[in-house]
Amino acid sequence: MSELKIKGVTIVETFAEAFPMVGTRIIITAPSLEWALIAARTMTGFATSVIACGAEAGIERNLTPDETLDGRPGVAVLLFTMDTEKLQRQLRNRVGQCVLTSPGSACFAGLKAEKSLKLGASLRFFGDGWQVSKKVDGRRFWRIPVMDGEFVCEEKTGYTKKAVGGGNFLVLGKSHAAVLAACERAVKAIDEVPEVITPFPGGIVRSGSKVGSKYKGQIASTNDAYCPTLKAAVKTALPLDVEAVMEIVIDGLTKESIAKAMRAGIHAVAEGGATQGVTHVTAGNYGGNLGPHHFHLKEIIA
Amino acid sequence: MSALTFELKGKPGQRLDLSPLTPARLKDLKPKDIEALAIGTTRVALTVGDLFKVKGEDASALRFVGTDARCDKIGAALTEGEIVVEGDAGAYLGAAMKNGKIEVKGSAGDLAGASMSGGSIAIAGDAGERACGVFVGDTLGMKGGLLTIGGNAGPLLGERMRRGFVIVGGNAGDYVGGRMIAGTILLKSKVGRFAGYGLRRGTLIFMEEPKELLPTFGDCGVLEFDYLRLLEHWLRETGRPIALGGRARRLMGDMAALGKGEMLILA
Repeated sequence: MSELKIKGVTIVETFAEAFPMVGTRIIITAPSLEWALIAARTMTGFATSVIACGAEAGIERNLTPDETLDGRPGVAVLLFTMDTEKLQRQLRNRVGQCVLTSPGSACFAGLKAEKSLKLGASLRFFGDGWQVSKKVDGRRFWRIPVMDGEFVCEEKTGYTKKAVGGGNFLVLGKSHAAVLAACERAVKAIDEVPEVITPFPGGIVRSGSKVGSKYKGQIASTNDAYCPTLKAAVKTALPLDVEAVMEIVIDGLTKESIAKAMRAGIHAVAEGGATQGVTHVTAGNYGGNLGPHHFHLKEIIA
Repeated sequence: MSALTFELKGKPGQRLDLSPLTPARLKDLKPKDIEALAIGTTRVALTVGDLFKVKGEDASALRFVGTDARCDKIGAALTEGEIVVEGDAGAYLGAAMKNGKIEVKGSAGDLAGASMSGGSIAIAGDAGERACGVFVGDTLGMKGGLLTIGGNAGPLLGERMRRGFVIVGGNAGDYVGGRMIAGTILLKSKVGRFAGYGLRRGTLIFMEEPKELLPTFGDCGVLEFDYLRLLEHWLRETGRPIALGGRARRLMGDMAALGKGEMLILA
């Protein structure tokens, strides 16, 4: 491990390896920010990893009433998958089951792009013939009658194929509490960066994985090199005094936004981290052969 | 470059067809050719040069000065550019226009914006009958775009309208939204009798409750409409602040037609 340090925390000279994804953004509004958040959290629930959730999703940021199309509080949600067809299916199912159902909600496009996904265009059929199409400012909206009035939903939303998934860094420290606190700071800092989400619980993942397993059919398994309880048995990446490792995974609409988020996160980890017991920040990669996007920590923090 | 200006020299002795005077048609013409364009509608031949003093050179922005109610088809079939009318406009103002912008400082005659499919028309004064109605030879009224009438609108506003948005600042005549297929009309003041006659789909928004309602409209009561908030936001963003609020009484109809239209009477 090299000797690049920020405020006493060693930044390992390695890189995060990330993958191309397709991503979209939608805006959910509601009578209050609380209800917009409920709809958004429900829609982005069980969306930590494409491995088994079908999608990775999260709340990008809250929107004030003057930022939304209907003048109500809102939330911007990002949704990512590995291909367009899956993104379309996930969007339809998640908005249909979690936003359409949420009291007082409305749903609007959040991304301007040449190519678009169906939003209200498929959900309108819930109206059973009573749905009403309205064009405002060249954009089509569907008014779908529901039991609390109307669900207003924009016809379509744009998507990008230039999204990036799996931007990451790992935080190593001498105590579980120190690593958790440092990662919480990082997630908070990343929250301020536009166009990115941290899809894991509270933005943090404690079960980083490696590709493959000793068991047939298991495509990913525990990253033993970073498991503190296995230091003596495997080719460990951890010094003896490291008690816990946690990872922050970042998905973003652009490569640049991921780099910005990693930078903000790593600096937040280093801020006061060393005195609390954070020792290293490193990153996860597969040798550079799998993902086309390489985020070198040295360049990120420069 | 100053706007290409057509100043009416005197009262025309016949109705004029000003449809040749659009930015798309004039942009490659020399002043001499513009003045030679025929605009008469009778056997007495009449050219632009006979009636108008032509000044300026920017054909993407036309200006008509001193026009009156006999100046028909200003901006008809417009596809691009801007037209400002400092005066009145005759019939068929912006009829069948597809894009562009027309602004009339005075009033417009009958069938303003008839069968238009895009762009915007703003009439500061009144509009005659059948504004946004059906252009000659067409089967549908307005098919898109935006028409604002600052003053009063004549009867049958939005007849057979299919899509688009109309705002009337003053009063509207009888049969507003008559036989309308879809689209939206926002009425800021009083309306005549038989509003929504034969309405199939589409929305009539009333800021003031109509005196008479057709018996073929069914009441849904006063409800919340996020759609109204969406409209209000858009109107404000485009420089037309109109407070709609989110609550309205919804009447569905015309049940004598398809019945999927609505009147929203703001609460």
